[in-house]
Amino acid sequence: MPLAIERRLEPLQSRFAVTSAAVGAVLLALVVCAALFAMVGVNPLEAYASLMAEAFATERGIGYTVVRATPLILIALGTIVAWRTGFGYLGFEGCFVVGAAACTAIALHGNPGGVLEDWPRLPMLLLCGAASAAAGAAWAGLVGWVRIRWGGSEVLMSLMTNYIALLLVQYLVSGPLRAPGGLPQSARLPENSWLPLLMEGSRAHAGIFIALTSAALVWLLLRKTPLGYEMVLSGLSPRAARYGGIAVGRRQLQAAMLAGALGALAGLAQVLGVHYRLMDGMSGGIGFIGIVVALLARLNPAGVVPVALLYGGLSVGADAMQRATGTPSSITFILQALIVLLVLASPVVLRWRVVWRGRASREGGTLAQGVGRG
Amino acid sequence: MDNWVDVAFFTTWLAASVRLAGPVMLAALGEVLSERAGVLNIGIEGVILLGALGAYLGAAGSGSAWVGLLAAAGVGLVCGLLLSWMYVSARASQVVTGIVFNLLALGLASFVYRQAVAAGFSESVPMLEPAAWQQDLAKLPLVGPALFGQPPLLYATLGLAALASFVLYRTRFGLSVRAVGENPRAADAAGISVVKTRYAGVLISSVAAALAGAYLMVCEVGLFRDGIVSGQGFIALAIVILGHWSPGRVALAALLFGAADALQLSLQLRGWGLPPQVLLAFPYVLALLAICGVFGRSTRQPRALMQPLEN
Repeated sequence: MPLAIERRLEPLQSRFAVTSAAVGAVLLALVVCAALFAMVGVNPLEAYASLMAEAFATERGIGYTVVRATPLILIALGTIVAWRTGFGYLGFEGCFVVGAAACTAIALHGNPGGVLEDWPRLPMLLLCGAASAAAGAAWAGLVGWVRIRWGGSEVLMSLMTNYIALLLVQYLVSGPLRAPGGLPQSARLPENSWLPLLMEGSRAHAGIFIALTSAALVWLLLRKTPLGYEMVLSGLSPRAARYGGIAVGRRQLQAAMLAGALGALAGLAQVLGVHYRLMDGMSGGIGFIGIVVALLARLNPAGVVPVALLYGGLSVGADAMQRATGTPSSITFILQALIVLLVLASPVVLRWRVVWRGRASREGGTLAQGVGRG
Repeated sequence: MDNWVDVAFFTTWLAASVRLAGPVMLAALGEVLSERAGVLNIGIEGVILLGALGAYLGAAGSGSAWVGLLAAAGVGLVCGLLLSWMYVSARASQVVTGIVFNLLALGLASFVYRQAVAAGFSESVPMLEPAAWQQDLAKLPLVGPALFGQPPLLYATLGLAALASFVLYRTRFGLSVRAVGENPRAADAAGISVVKTRYAGVLISSVAAALAGAYLMVCEVGLFRDGIVSGQGFIALAIVILGHWSPGRVALAALLFGAADALQLSLQLRGWGLPPQVLLAFPYVLALLAICGVFGRSTRQPRALMQPLEN
């Protein structure tokens, strides 16, 4: 066989090689999904075009894209802060619903007869935001504190807290916060707590500004401040950071609290911008999708916004496509997950090379191999 | 205290405890092998879902629940190969790979199920019922339904718990698994193949998880739904910790979890005051405490868990 694959002594490390392997992985994912489209009898090129068209070409579609991207940006930022500090937090489903519940509990007081009835919108929103962020910070901070105080894997602990939070909210909407009526959900929130809509006839709401501001702040924190530097150093090498006099545990606790607050604000954006009430099961996996957005952005806060918009747009386009052609919208899940898995695996190709063995060199090759083995 | 704690109550509760413990016990037993070899297979949530899908396709396509089980085992093997390649050969982060695999499974299962229904598969599948001889024994008071009224897979799972315990502590393979999970470098130096052992661990956990999905499908639900797994994979992860990474204790922890879950159901039926969510949250709180070591140092996880072997 003249063509052979053999292991490199050293994996390729040039920027070009790493980037092209990642790009190749994305293309491969697109090809696999194209095959799925073809399987269900849809022209893949048309499908990809229509996925983009709905989400990024119509005003209504752009509005929906922004709505979908908002919580993803916030959760992805939380992921970045936590993971860059070496705190493998996976509890964003929990932070999301805890934040949603906290702002609901406050905003409900603005209903007729409540103490916040006459409050104007801005202070109301600030109060809701503070409550959400505090609840989220406390929720994630608890895991951080337990981890630092007693040890144990924060990865597993945060997974468990997701379920506790979901059950807590389930309890709230079927008990204390339940509105009279059939469904387990809270009463509708008063209008003075709603995030203002950005354009008439579009669902895009002001939550995107919270997300964009947070992205800028997180970028500044990690890149420009001593605190951010210590956080990143704690994540890169806790031992070195400790020798350098950095209180790694404290930085991780701070990262956990900030991540929790960001995840909670994602819940706030969803409640005050989209549903206007607290409902059971409103997170629906968004806490995990946000993590994936962060991964696709390579844990870089500047990359989060475009990636989240792209993903939000993909899911809007997929829903539109499902309505129009009956193509299952779950295909975006598949596409997105495949992209991440293949990008994760792409460094493998850097460890191998394809060699062409002509007749002469083949003999030399075996000889060299023999020498090498002996 | 009225008569709400009577024999009927305990009979139903015990039976439901065992019933609800079955699938998570199966998944958790597999996960023990994987974690003991040093791989945290968070992807089992997705594997359970794909296993349930495989069981649905097999059983609905052939009309036999046993074919469904076989199909699920095949699905588990494929998932296990993919996952172990990612975890071990590609050395990708175990947490990230697992989480993303779960999302992939969610999309894939929903996609394939819709294609299957569109292709004319029936919605419900044939199920594995308790055998005829069990009917008489199940009439025993109190413990009858709990001990004898269960589907055949439950007994197979209990057998597997014993087998897993034997394999882990009494065989050469089990010794390799534990060595690789504690100190892969030393194991490597002793001539144990870390890569092969970890592949084996992940494959075992994936096949077990897929069979747990099949258990849900052909023994409990009978219909495929996107939300059929709803976190049972994560519960299995919690149970592994509760059970201190040992097959026997894991089986007990699964029963404890089943009991909490069933108690919540029974009390709800009786119109009891305590919110059901409190009891439902019980296993997670317990797991949380177990992870941070409240129950003593023996809860320590395998030392090399989540660490890809560098070379």
